[in-house]
Amino acid sequence: MDNRVYVIGRDTVPQYLRLEAGEELMMTLVMLPGTDLRIPLEVDLTGPGASLDLAGAYLCPGAEHVDLRVLVKHAAPGCRSRQLFKGIVGGTADAAFDGLIYVARVAQQTQAYQENHSLLLSETARVESRPQLEIYADDVQCSHGATTGYLNPDELFYLRSRGIPEPEARCLQMIAFLAPVLNRLPEELIEEIHAGLS
Amino acid sequence: MNNDVLLDIRDLRAGVEGKQILKGVDLQVRRGEVHAVMGPNGAGKSTLGGVLSGRPSFTVTGGSVSFDGRDLLAMSPEERSWAGLFMSFQYPVEIPGVSITNFMKAAVAARRKAQGLPELSPAEFLTLLKEKMGMLQMKGEFARREVNVGFSGGEKKRNEIFQMAMLEPTLSILDETDSGLDVDALRIVAEGVNALRTPQTAAIVITHYQRLLDYIVPDVVHVLKDGRIVRTGGRELVDLIEKEGYEGIDG
Repeated sequence: MDNRVYVIGRDTVPQYLRLEAGEELMMTLVMLPGTDLRIPLEVDLTGPGASLDLAGAYLCPGAEHVDLRVLVKHAAPGCRSRQLFKGIVGGTADAAFDGLIYVARVAQQTQAYQENHSLLLSETARVESRPQLEIYADDVQCSHGATTGYLNPDELFYLRSRGIPEPEARCLQMIAFLAPVLNRLPEELIEEIHAGLS
Repeated sequence: MNNDVLLDIRDLRAGVEGKQILKGVDLQVRRGEVHAVMGPNGAGKSTLGGVLSGRPSFTVTGGSVSFDGRDLLAMSPEERSWAGLFMSFQYPVEIPGVSITNFMKAAVAARRKAQGLPELSPAEFLTLLKEKMGMLQMKGEFARREVNVGFSGGEKKRNEIFQMAMLEPTLSILDETDSGLDVDALRIVAEGVNALRTPQTAAIVITHYQRLLDYIVPDVVHVLKDGRIVRTGGRELVDLIEKEGYEGIDG
């Protein structure tokens, strides 16, 4: 499956995508530090057996405003969708994630999952996560989850006790947190993200 | 044997969340020595390890600790590591997303930088990694695994000793390294610790049981009870504890 990677603000990101029968799409969105944005994205799975693997990373360490609105619409039977959005929000930045999975009455045997996890770096950063399910079929597997947390102090101490300086240890923790999304990106982009976080 | 005092703890008092746990600990460790700190649950053994390694949740309320002539308590956890202190954790932390190789690369690079040494080339680092893994009978795939993620109790402890081998500390503190280990793992860990012993380095083995001390033989044994060292002696103290338990031992 090819993986389409979009860096928001640099690449033109489609706002509407349609997956026909049996089509598979892997798509990854990256929001680098310093960008304010509002992203509406709708993906419709309109043919049986279509499959979507969507992920995103938002890096908002400063004063960014990010507003992500994702709608995944299952309009045919036997489709699969998986979404994973992870972000780091610090300074006075705020990030909102609004994700709706819509499953039409005809879309039996749907498998749809959505996860949104954020890491807060400061007391003044804000995250708002609104995962939603709207399901009209009765034979489906759907789930969503959202978490917001801080860097784990035990991890931080462990890294520092091995001589890794605090700022670098925090950076390692952030990279580790983002790893499931970063693993989908080309090497140059991963390096750019590393540089942006340290 | 070099008779320099490497670690000098004087009247150390410390606690957590306002609760006093260490109530005046005195302990001197010389280069070349292995000390055991034994004691019942709740005596303050892990607090001692935590305070020495700089765990932020503990508050020092009195006393002093000098390490290699420097004020240990004034140093950050990373500075303590650069100065040659290493603590093997009782509960090693899982760090998903970070491989053991990258973890150790960052640790070795930071320490060499702090010591004013040139950076290791990737080939030199790999040679060091393989050498230390070989010493602890670890397989190649180990270095690619995420730090402690999905490790058994024994693998976690072995990973601690591996990190110790990589960082070549002057003073190693082993906090309950024997808990959760079967006899084979215990032997491998002890062999690793013994292989790293030199006349210039020292170790403190913190433990509840005498089991590990069958393999790592201490020069000095201390009994910690209710935040104080109540007895200091030689190996025979281990046998006495084994026979009579901690109840019978007082200052």
